[in-house]
Amino acid sequence: MINIPLLLVFIPVVAAIIIYIFKNRWMYFLAFAAQILVTVLAVAYTIHYWGDFESAMLFIGGWSEGDIGISLRNDPLSISFLFLSIFSWWMVLIYKFEPGKTDNTFLFFLMFLQGVFLGLLQTNDLFNLFVFLELTTIIVTILVAYQKVGSSIRAGVYYLLLNTAGVLAFLVGVILLYNVFGTINIEVIRNNMAGMGEYNIIQLAFVLMMAAVTVKAALFPVFTWLPKAHGVAQSAISALLSGMIVKAGIYLFIRLNQMFALAEFGYQDFFFAIGVMTAVTGAVFAMMQTNIKLLLAYSTLSQVGIIIIGLVSMETYHGGLLHVFNHALFKSLLFLGAGIIISVYRTKDITKIRGLWRSMPVVSLLMIAGMLAISGAPFFNGYVSKAFISTSLADSTVRYYTFLLINIGSTAAFIKLAQIFFGPKMLSYPMRHTAKMIPLFFIAAGCFALGNFYVPIFDRFFGVDLSDIRAFSLSAFFDYFVTLAAAFAIVWFWVRKDGRIVRELRKVHISFETANYMFVLYIVALGVVFVVW
Amino acid sequence: MNPILTFVVILIGFYGIATSKNIIKSVFCLTIIESGIILLFLNLGNYEGGAIPILSNGQIDTIVDPLPQALMITTIVIGSTVTALSLMLCIKLFHHYGSIDWAKILGREDLS
Repeated sequence: MINIPLLLVFIPVVAAIIIYIFKNRWMYFLAFAAQILVTVLAVAYTIHYWGDFESAMLFIGGWSEGDIGISLRNDPLSISFLFLSIFSWWMVLIYKFEPGKTDNTFLFFLMFLQGVFLGLLQTNDLFNLFVFLELTTIIVTILVAYQKVGSSIRAGVYYLLLNTAGVLAFLVGVILLYNVFGTINIEVIRNNMAGMGEYNIIQLAFVLMMAAVTVKAALFPVFTWLPKAHGVAQSAISALLSGMIVKAGIYLFIRLNQMFALAEFGYQDFFFAIGVMTAVTGAVFAMMQTNIKLLLAYSTLSQVGIIIIGLVSMETYHGGLLHVFNHALFKSLLFLGAGIIISVYRTKDITKIRGLWRSMPVVSLLMIAGMLAISGAPFFNGYVSKAFISTSLADSTVRYYTFLLINIGSTAAFIKLAQIFFGPKMLSYPMRHTAKMIPLFFIAAGCFALGNFYVPIFDRFFGVDLSDIRAFSLSAFFDYFVTLAAAFAIVWFWVRKDGRIVRELRKVHISFETANYMFVLYIVALGVVFVVW
Repeated sequence: MNPILTFVVILIGFYGIATSKNIIKSVFCLTIIESGIILLFLNLGNYEGGAIPILSNGQIDTIVDPLPQALMITTIVIGSTVTALSLMLCIKLFHHYGSIDWAKILGREDLS
């Protein structure tokens, strides 16, 4: 029972290797079998150790003395991420399943990535964390560049080099911490943080590690890889990237701030500002786009900003965590739905896609469910987390209205996207996409369930009381319609006219060396804020 | 070697990726950062006059810290993987765009 965390890492990896060695078309069922095994083991592990994860610390190779061995450990946070990622991989596997057509190489990278990602969530060792981060970067690069067209390879190189620079900064932080503490065990470092001398070196390590987190989570100055990578990858991979891989950065953000909690850096105000800038940038760029994939990618950026705002604006991290779940669900739904639309209409341009409602009513309904959820409509999951975050901001008027504006901005992109539903029925290409809609139904059901039964779910799993947030009240509907009206006004009076500013903003492109320059400047800014000040 | 010098190596690498316009040069600069990191960690784990960390029968007073060496071997392996992958992607980019200059490949259409 105690070895299950290790199995969760190795079962997908071993399955991936077998899939790659024995290339035949039945191998997809091996992937499903491995996935079922992983799910069952994860459930059994959680039931067995629920409430007592301290005893479940796993030391690899029996090196339990002196904290020198590699260890894996879980807590409610990592378990919740674990189940979310297993669910996401299930959805992508079902979505990519076509009987008789198995792409073994693709499946190899997909399953390998799952093993690496589950390891990233469970490890208790800083160097292991670095290895898993770098492996994730490499495999995601291959998956982004998988279509082998020029634009995807370009995005892959950009992603790989920028993220490697970030992860190397993380490694320097790990080395500095090892120099101070003499160990790289996260738990030990966390407990010894308070009474440690050499405060300056710890501060420097914090700065470098936070810079790495900023790159991985695509926060404000170094977000440029995200729209490039998410915009050109296959839709299933985009769903996985926006749903889970970006969340690796968010997960690290929570983990590292837990680790540095006793040092009391007071990072909240700085990262609130970073979150606001990320959200505003994402919202503004999202409403300029005409490419459906790019629109969704920039919208991910604004949602990540909202997640960071939620994480730093309350004592516990639950507001942001709730939004992590909700965003993973509705953004996967939107990307997978967009994949079906793109394969039927053979274009990504939303000004050319017309009459979706008449051509594909079921896909339209699912897309509308995703759009309602992401814009925060009552009875859908987006409403719960946004209301939770905004109640925690109610103390400060400026912050409250900033959040309101961000919400309007991120809704505006979806008002613009809604134009694809209208218009006459267009010639629809014959294509079997019924099977592809199964995961969409699952995810939409998840959105709806989290939006209605959030009180018992969160009380049971996190011990958080959400009964203050009522989706059934009149004021919730009123707020939502005001948001919609404001977003509609922005789209109708500014974006729709496609003026010079809109066209120029759409073409904004940040080159690789500028992105790295901003990364270096950002490290310097973090250093000024946390070390010098 | 002074640890400060290794920081200088790392900073040279960061200067390089922030200014170079050629993808190959960007890859090289990442390798330079990584070499700086490896030198830094090996330095911090080193003691003056320490013996190699291998079990032996004789009496040894001080040995150097084995953990940095073990970790840095892994880093070298990962670094070579990243370098190989990015150079392979550079070749592909050159086939598609006829250039490995960041500014030029962004403006061009796919040749293939």
